[in-house]
Parts: sequence; structure tokens; C-alpha cells
Amino acid sequence: MIKLPSVHIGRLSLLLSILIWLSLLFVDLVRLFGEINNLNSGIAPAVTWTLEILFFLSVYSFYTRNFQQNANNEFLNLIWRSASTGIFASAAFLIIQLFYLFLGDSNLAEEPFLKNFFYHVHFALITVFLISTTLLWKKLILYQKTKKVVQQWQTFEIGLLIAMFFVYFTQDTFGYSFIFAFVILTILGGFLSVNLKWIPYLTYKEKWKSLLFLSVILLTSIYLFLQANALSGERQIYPINLLDNLFLIALYVFVFIYSLFSFLVTLFNLPTSSVFEQKLTEAINFQRLSQSIQPEENEENVLDILLDSSMSASFADGAWLEMYQSEKNESITQVRWIEKEELQELSDTLESSQAAQEWASSQKADTLEPFSLKVKKGKYQSLLLVPLVINKSVIGRMVLCKEIKDGFNKEMINIISTFARQASIAVENHRLLNQAIENERYQEELKIAQRVQKALLPDRLDHHSSFEICAYSNAADEVGGDYYDTFQQAEDRYVLIIGDVSGKGTSAAFHMAQMKGVFQSLIQLNLSPGEFMIRSNAALSKCLERNHFITASVFEINTSQKLIRYARAGHVPTLYFNAKSQKATYLESGGLGLGILRNMQYEKHVDQKEFTYHEGDVMVLFTDGIIEAKNQKAMQFGFERARSLLEINHSLTPKEIQAILIDTLHNFVGGNGLIDDDYSMMVVKFT
Amino acid sequence: MLTIDTQIENTHHILTPSGEIDASNSVQLDESIRHLSESGAKSILVDGTQIDYISSAGLGVFMSYLEDFQEKGVSLKIFGLKPRVYEVFQILGLDQLISIFPDKESALAQ
Repeated sequence: MIKLPSVHIGRLSLLLSILIWLSLLFVDLVRLFGEINNLNSGIAPAVTWTLEILFFLSVYSFYTRNFQQNANNEFLNLIWRSASTGIFASAAFLIIQLFYLFLGDSNLAEEPFLKNFFYHVHFALITVFLISTTLLWKKLILYQKTKKVVQQWQTFEIGLLIAMFFVYFTQDTFGYSFIFAFVILTILGGFLSVNLKWIPYLTYKEKWKSLLFLSVILLTSIYLFLQANALSGERQIYPINLLDNLFLIALYVFVFIYSLFSFLVTLFNLPTSSVFEQKLTEAINFQRLSQSIQPEENEENVLDILLDSSMSASFADGAWLEMYQSEKNESITQVRWIEKEELQELSDTLESSQAAQEWASSQKADTLEPFSLKVKKGKYQSLLLVPLVINKSVIGRMVLCKEIKDGFNKEMINIISTFARQASIAVENHRLLNQAIENERYQEELKIAQRVQKALLPDRLDHHSSFEICAYSNAADEVGGDYYDTFQQAEDRYVLIIGDVSGKGTSAAFHMAQMKGVFQSLIQLNLSPGEFMIRSNAALSKCLERNHFITASVFEINTSQKLIRYARAGHVPTLYFNAKSQKATYLESGGLGLGILRNMQYEKHVDQKEFTYHEGDVMVLFTDGIIEAKNQKAMQFGFERARSLLEINHSLTPKEIQAILIDTLHNFVGGNGLIDDDYSMMVVKFT
Repeated sequence: MLTIDTQIENTHHILTPSGEIDASNSVQLDESIRHLSESGAKSILVDGTQIDYISSAGLGVFMSYLEDFQEKGVSLKIFGLKPRVYEVFQILGLDQLISIFPDKESALAQ
């Protein structure tokens, strides 16, 4: 398959049409020569007709392609192209006429070959004008096309195609069959000519221009018709009639009818044009308002558009817009065409107007409608108050002013209240978006905090061959106040710590970090658990908020003596499984939370204890989040449940014990139940 | 849910919180106590019979007034705590610092 590049088809059809025209000219001149010299040239008229049809088709295809490529589909541009073609054709006709005028009565003026040449030029120009204009009208007709219109157009085109071949059947220009076909084509063209939907979309100025262009088209087509008619009259000179073709005549009638319709409709559309434009502007303004605010824009832009749109919709002489910041502290954001003094005066008038105040203090903000007000004195005689409502509260108001009485009609008020509502939505969206962005930022910050806090808990626990250990922690919010850690103070001495800051969330997390700092420093001093608590209390008392405290348990494990020393500072008692008695109990001891007594009195409450451990003993340190976890019936997990669980599962490894405790806790709380507090545990098993 | 009721009986101000005291509403309790303290109350009794649960944040509120009240000579007493709530005070050691009584009569007798 040979595929021609599509770019060349246009040029090809142009070249083809020129060639066809030249051969048409040649054929006809040869025939003329034969007739003049009484010789039979042997060329049948059918040859001319065929060439004529080919010429029509090539011009048609050239313009179809040409208009497809030129994407500029502005109505005015289309009409101008047609008008310019008409002017060009008319000018060519005029020049030829002047030429003959100039020749006067000379021999050349009677020269049949020259006359025939110009006759062909005329034919070509008329054809070009009619076909190009028809195709332009096609674009206008098929603007906002429906299936029905497209079908009508196709019927018309088929009719035209058939009309080209009509000449083969009868050369009787005004015979019955000719008139019959002509009437059918005229009716089809007339039906198509009512499709003038493009006209309302022209602006007032464009309408005037299109009137001018259309009148040019009408005048040139009348002129061309008269000229062609004159030529057709001189039959004897022209051996073959090219112009009395059904196709051309039908096209001519169609072009003329459509131009005339367009002209008249545009003319009668002129007075109502401004209304249509006004509505179109309103629609565009509405669209601008309804588009959500772009990130680079702000509320000001929306209010700006609102004020401009409302003023243009109501033909207001002045306006201002005020937004309430907080509690009636109004700030005037935009003022149009109003002097400062006038504004003050009008504001005072509004303040003193009882009706306006009643309107402003209306409780039902979401149903508040614009309110129009008469002013007796001053430049402005009517005011319109328009509320801006977000989320059932009035965030501001717009005041439109007109110099005439009762200046705001119902339509204006309707469209303005729609504008105001739309602008309010845009402002609300903008505010929500900002809020969302801010929230997003907080979430990010919290994520960072979470990561930092995770790093505060040890990723590796110190351990010894004589005990196994594991630990787990979970925060109710992103960050929490639980803490656990291990330290190796000597070859055979380990310290375990578990702590819990009162409250939860961010404040607890900060205190937890302080707790870690204090603990890490004090642990270096090799203090006994009791002393450790006293020092911790003193240090933490200085940095904790007044209503915050920390509970903690400290265990010191001496692996060579198998001795445990511990102290409890208000923390949940530690669960201990004794392998000898096969019983689990909570380690009893006194003690007071850190930061509760912030003076020397604290020492009195410290209670350090010690005991020896044995192989198989298990110790579970936890925070109150586990004990106080509640199920849907508001029952607490409680001490007893944890105790019996350990008693049953003491033979397992610390990891397994921990897993069972956590699983049981989650089952207890229930599928969707959330544990409302931070919870942590550390399980130690002696071997 | 926490509701706090305040009554005056002779020279005693009786505060009755009912419901659960946790991090979200401990501010309410704090405000009630501060209000009493600022209005010059010298004897504050907290009726604990209606408290279903108290979290560490709630305990923090009582704790934060300990020194303040000691300086001003205000007496703070709690009575009628449910066993489970009392246990929480006990674990933290607050029972050593705040006078906690089984019932109103014994609280007033002291």
C-alpha cells in the first residue's frame, strides 16, 4: 500500500484543481476553434461536464482539508474568510470589466478566445467563492451539532453531489425536472439555515463586525450573481454553459439564504445581546468562585472575585466587604468606589438602622438571606447586605451600594446570594485545607517524636548466664510515658528499672525523657535501690510539672550472691513466681511516687527490701496500663488475672510468658477495644 | 464522664466527683479544687463514693495541692473510696500523705 503523507493531499488537490481547470479551458477553446472554423473537433460536451464535476470535487476536497487544518474556528474569523474570498472574486470581476472598458471597440474586445478565457476565470472564481463559503457555513451550522443536524447536512451534501451530474440528463436549464431538483435542494438548504446557535455567543462588538462581514458577503454574492447572469445571456459566444449548473445554483441559493438569515438574526439579537453577555459573565464568575482556591492564592483573591462579580451582577455603584475576625472586631478587607468618609457614614447608618441590626443578630446564620435596605439621605439610596456564612456562623458581610432607589431586584439578589454562598464555600475549603496541612505537619512531628522516643528504650537488654530477660512497651498515643532499662554495674551486678510517668501523650513523653536522663546519670553512682530513689526524687522534683509524678521500681540483681535488692516508688507491685513454693505473689513494700513529696520528707517513705532468688523463679515487672486495662463491661484486667497466668505458665521462656500475657490482655479487652494507657512489661527468669 | 458537685456543710466544703477521673477530665477536678482553695475554704472533704476509676492524671491533681494546702493550713480529706480506687492511692503511696477515711462520719470526727 502506498500511503501519501496527509500534508500533501491538500496541495495535491490544489494542483489537481488547477490542472483540471486548465484542461477544461483547453478543451473548450479547442471546441470553440472548431466551431469558428466550422470544423468538427469531435469533442463531446460530456467531456466538459466531466471535467467540470472533477473541478468541483477537487475544489471541495481542497477546502475541506484546508479548513480542517486551520484550527482557528472563531466565528468572526470564519465569516471574514468568506467575505474576503467574495471581495477577491468581485475585485477580479471588476478588473476584467475595466479591462474591457479600456479596450473599448477594438478587435481584441470581440476576440472570442479571450472572452472564453475570462469566462472560465469567472467560473473558477464563482465556484471557489461558493464552495469555500458553503464549507464555512457548514462549520457554523454544525456548531453545537446534534445527530439530526448532522444527518440533514449529509443529506444536503448527497443532494449536491447528485446535482453535479444533473447536467448529463438534461441541459434544459429551467425545465420542470431542473426546477423540481432545485426546489428540493433549496428546501434542504433552508432547513439547515435555521441553525444559528453561534450568534448568541458573539459579544456586542463582534456582532457589529459580523453584520459588516455578512453584508459584504451578501453584496458580493449579489454582484457575482448579476455578473454570471449577464455572461449566461451571451450564449452564442460561449459554446458551452458552465454556470447554469444545478450544483452551482443550489450552492448560490444556500449561501445567500444562510447569509441573509445570519444577518437578520444577528441584527435582531443586538438589543438583547447585553443580557446574554451579562448571564455569560455571571456564569464565568460563578465558575471562578466555585473553583477551589489554588495553594498560591488566598482568601483575599476569592473575596476580590466575589466583590467584582457581585458588583457587575447588580450594577452597583460602590461596595465594601468586611470580615469578622473575632467577636465583632470587623476588619474591612475590600472597598470599591467608596470614599472613606462615605464608608464611615454608611457604616453608621447601618449601625443605627434597627432593621439592619435585627438582621445581623439573627440566630439562624445558615438561612440568612441578603437584606436590602433603603437609605433616606446621602449619595447612596439603596444598600444590599449580603452575609458570608461558614459552618452556620456569619464570618463577614458584603455591602453593595446603589445611587438609585430600590436598585436591587430579585434576580440580582438571587445571583449575588449564590455568589456569596459559593465564595463562602471556597473560603471554607481554603481554611480547611490549611488546617489539614497543619494537621499533617503535626502528624509528621509526632511521627518523629515517636521515632525518637522508641530510641530512648533500649534495643538490647543487658543479661547474664544466670537469667533470661525480655521486655515490651506500647504507647496509647503516638508517644508515651513508659520507660524500662537495664544496666550492668559490675561483673555480677545488674540493675533493672521500670518507670511510668503520670498521664499519657506528649507531656508524659517529655517527662519520660527526663526520667531516662536522671536514671542514666544516677545509675553510674552505684547507689543502693533506696538511695537511688531518694536521689531520683530530688532530681525529678526540680524538673517535673507540679501535677505530674513518676512511679518506678528498681531491682538490683547480684548474680554471685543470688541476691535481689529492690525499692518501689509508688509503682505497681512486681509479680514474682517462687519456684520452691510454686506460687506467684506481688512483692510487698512501701514507697511513694517520685515527685510527690519534693522535699527531704521523701526519705521517710523509702522502703528497700531484699531476698535471694532461686533457679526457676520468674519476675514480671509491669506498668499500671496492664492492670487497669478495661474490657467492654468496664472490668479491669486486675492483679489476680496476671498472677494466675504466671503461675500456670511459669515453666515457659520469658518471651513465651510475655506473649501469653499480652495475648490474654488483648483478648480480655476485646477485638476493637483499645487500651487507653501506655503499657509495658519486663519478664526475667532465673536459671 | 465526670460531674463534680460541691456542697457546704458547716465549715466543710464537700466535693463529690462522680464517674471516672482520667487525663481528659482531670482539669475539671483541678478547677473545682482551685476554686474552693481560692475562695478561702479551710476544710475540703472529697466524697469518693461516686468515683469509679481514677487515673494517674487524677492522682496528680490531689498531689499538686499537698504542699500548697500544708502551707495555707487547709485540710484535705478523702472518704468513702471504693476498694479498687483506694488501692490506686495505696500503690502510689498517697494514702500516707492524704487523710483517707472509710466514711464521712469518721472523716468529720477527726
